[in-house]
Amino acid sequence: MEDLSRFKQTYFDESAELLEVAESGLLRLTPGEVDSDEVNAIFRAVHSIKGGGGAFGFTELVAFAHEFETVMDGVRNNTVPVTTELVDTLIRANDLLGQMLAYAREGDPAPAGTTDGTVAALRRHLSGGAPQAQAPAAAPAAPPPTPVYAPTYADDEDDEAGLFGDAMAAIAAARAEEDPVPPGKLRWTIVFRPRSDLLMSGNEPAFMLRALRRLGDATVECHTDALPNLQNLEAELLHLSWTVTLLADADVDLDKINDVFEFVADDCDIRITAEAPPPAAPEAPPPVTDPVPVATPPTVVAAIPEAPKAEPPKAEAARPRPNGGGAEHAGLTSHTIRVDLDKIDRLVNMVGEMVITQAMIAEHVRELPPGEFQELLEGLEQLAQHTRELRESVMSIRAQPVSSVFSRMPRLVRECAATTGKEVQLVTSGETTEVDKTVVENLVDPLTHMIRNSIDHGLEGPDERERVGKPRAGTVHLSAQHRSGRIVIEITDDGRGINRPKVLSKAIEKGLVQPGATLSDEEIDNLIFLPGFSTADQVSNLSGRGVGMDVVRRNITSLGGRIGVYSTPGEGSRFVLSLPLTLAVLDGMVISVGEERFVLPLTNIVESLRPKAADLHGLVGKCDVMMARGEYVRLVYLHQLFGIPGAVADPTHALVVLVETEDGSRLGLVVDEVLGQQQVVIKSLEANFRRLDGVAAATILGDGRVALILDVAGLREMSRHMDSRAPRPPSPPVAALPAPALEPV
Amino acid sequence: MTLIKWSDEGGTVRLGLPSDLDLAMAQPLLDSLRAGFAASGTVIAEAAAVERVSTACVQALLVASRHAAEHNRTFAIAQPSEILAEACEDLGLDGWLKQWSQA
Repeated sequence: MEDLSRFKQTYFDESAELLEVAESGLLRLTPGEVDSDEVNAIFRAVHSIKGGGGAFGFTELVAFAHEFETVMDGVRNNTVPVTTELVDTLIRANDLLGQMLAYAREGDPAPAGTTDGTVAALRRHLSGGAPQAQAPAAAPAAPPPTPVYAPTYADDEDDEAGLFGDAMAAIAAARAEEDPVPPGKLRWTIVFRPRSDLLMSGNEPAFMLRALRRLGDATVECHTDALPNLQNLEAELLHLSWTVTLLADADVDLDKINDVFEFVADDCDIRITAEAPPPAAPEAPPPVTDPVPVATPPTVVAAIPEAPKAEPPKAEAARPRPNGGGAEHAGLTSHTIRVDLDKIDRLVNMVGEMVITQAMIAEHVRELPPGEFQELLEGLEQLAQHTRELRESVMSIRAQPVSSVFSRMPRLVRECAATTGKEVQLVTSGETTEVDKTVVENLVDPLTHMIRNSIDHGLEGPDERERVGKPRAGTVHLSAQHRSGRIVIEITDDGRGINRPKVLSKAIEKGLVQPGATLSDEEIDNLIFLPGFSTADQVSNLSGRGVGMDVVRRNITSLGGRIGVYSTPGEGSRFVLSLPLTLAVLDGMVISVGEERFVLPLTNIVESLRPKAADLHGLVGKCDVMMARGEYVRLVYLHQLFGIPGAVADPTHALVVLVETEDGSRLGLVVDEVLGQQQVVIKSLEANFRRLDGVAAATILGDGRVALILDVAGLREMSRHMDSRAPRPPSPPVAALPAPALEPV
Repeated sequence: MTLIKWSDEGGTVRLGLPSDLDLAMAQPLLDSLRAGFAASGTVIAEAAAVERVSTACVQALLVASRHAAEHNRTFAIAQPSEILAEACEDLGLDGWLKQWSQA
């Protein structure tokens, strides 16, 4: 029973992935531009879900999937035309299939009538797409006197190999003599003997045989010799088998034929052989003596051995690409395994603890007499290197491409466009960019909100766009890339941009900004992230409820990320999300301020230096700046921000760590000392305590002390607020500098 | 036992095949065929309404035709729909259908 549960879990996990595959394919299904590979992929996804469901006895799910699959088969077969309405129906069917899976997972029956509407819609397409039956002029008056079919070969359950070998030999030899294969073609002979319970797992031989027909000129011969008599027939057991002769172009290979049977490879015996055209020399037709692989025609290019007799585990039926019963066929060998996420998380935790232990050993080693224990030190250095590689390898296991999130967005855009009546084109790039699974999972809601906002608020309607000289269809560009050890996701639209006067007046109206306040463009743009803020005049299904962008920012911040907005009136807006690649471990620089230790993410650090007094300047009533590499950089005194006593206050006696945020702006952090580089294990502060401004997380250092991991962009915001709130405490003696000369940092 | 719609007219049993001959319908179809042959020497399966068909149901009809031939009974598939004809073609049974549906 426990094993069955495990197989079921695998089935549901795989079904979730298959649903995504189907949805992605459906969203790309465009009337007039039907990609047969895409259609096949959707069909296979639905078929796999159905097949697995049949194995577990999910009859309602199987019945519905069958309806869905039948329409997809019609699409494959060009009997059901692809229309926008059909695609909408199929997307709804895919959603419903997901619901049916949820019911099956919970062990609950679906409420009565759950599938009725969608099934009816599916059938309407089926009947509309396929020609209806035409009645002949008259009913038959008399039956034929004798049965039509005689056995083609004897049924012999005990000698399948012999049967196959003999049958294939006979077929190939006879045909090669009588009917040589035309040049440029291959003639395949496929003997397909399903197990009697094939139908009960939801498989339908007619679909497979039809799929074979699509590969070339096929002749299907049905073997009826194993049929029992009317009284002994069991309705759901299959007693038919087939031999298909397929004359196909040379580009139809074994893989394409195997693909047809990929779902039933464990539930049937299949033997496939191919004959090539005879050689060019006409005077010497090759003798046909050996049907097993030989070099001269008829050439058997491939043969799949019979499936093992033993019953495979039921969950095998749910595998999307079963092995096909022939281990030697490399194309069907899986290169992946499915691992429980808990196991990976335990591994990540253990690696985290190992990193801490390694840091503690390194701490103790520092106390050893210099020049001694050289081998031990070298060994520890190697251990540090291996720990780093191990950490990266473990993290890469958890890494997932953002495509799993991006692939959901076309549907969202489609729905938003339909709701708003706007024409929208979604462009995505960087889908293969990888990031930790947790980050990926938490991206869905923020991206959904932002794309909705871009379409609802940002993009103009088609007529308005035309008036201002833009294409009628607006474009939303969703991109991802790695930058500075983080993942940066951008949502750009070519709409009207943020209406700053409107945003400001709304903010004043809601009491978020004092009347008469002077705000920069950037500050006005950022008002949209305030709780309860909305410029929508009417609340719509999409946005305007004022619960959007502040939630987005909170979600992103809770992941250790940041969000920024950049807008140009009339040209559009760009939202930039910056998120850590992993939430487990980071490379940091340990710094001290007074008696406290902090960790700065290494990716933020540009350099550290001790400034001369001449490089320091004060902006009257604002902040201190430092001239570094030809530009002024705002100084941030960590001891002031965190109220740490006993710290070095004078930058000329302390150190300034120059750090850079994802948007390229720089800060100079005034610290007492830089203690050294270290891998640190990230411990969530929010989970264990609460969120703190300027702090991304916490960690445990080698000496067992807890240190806070600093959030550089958060420090910048804190210092700005501190500058605007109160007069700066008299810290360093710096020369005054006129304020206008400073670039915003 | 569930039987599909049928009528007995002058010793000829007429089975009205439903539009949906899926796997679940195989057992009722088989039961109906058995009952039809038990009741009469002539069984006609009216197939004009068939819109979906499974191999299991085709197999049941196939066995019925064989039964008729072997026991000197009369069996026919009347007005097979195009869907049924296509399914039989896919299954390599187009010749069989043609022979058993001839007027």
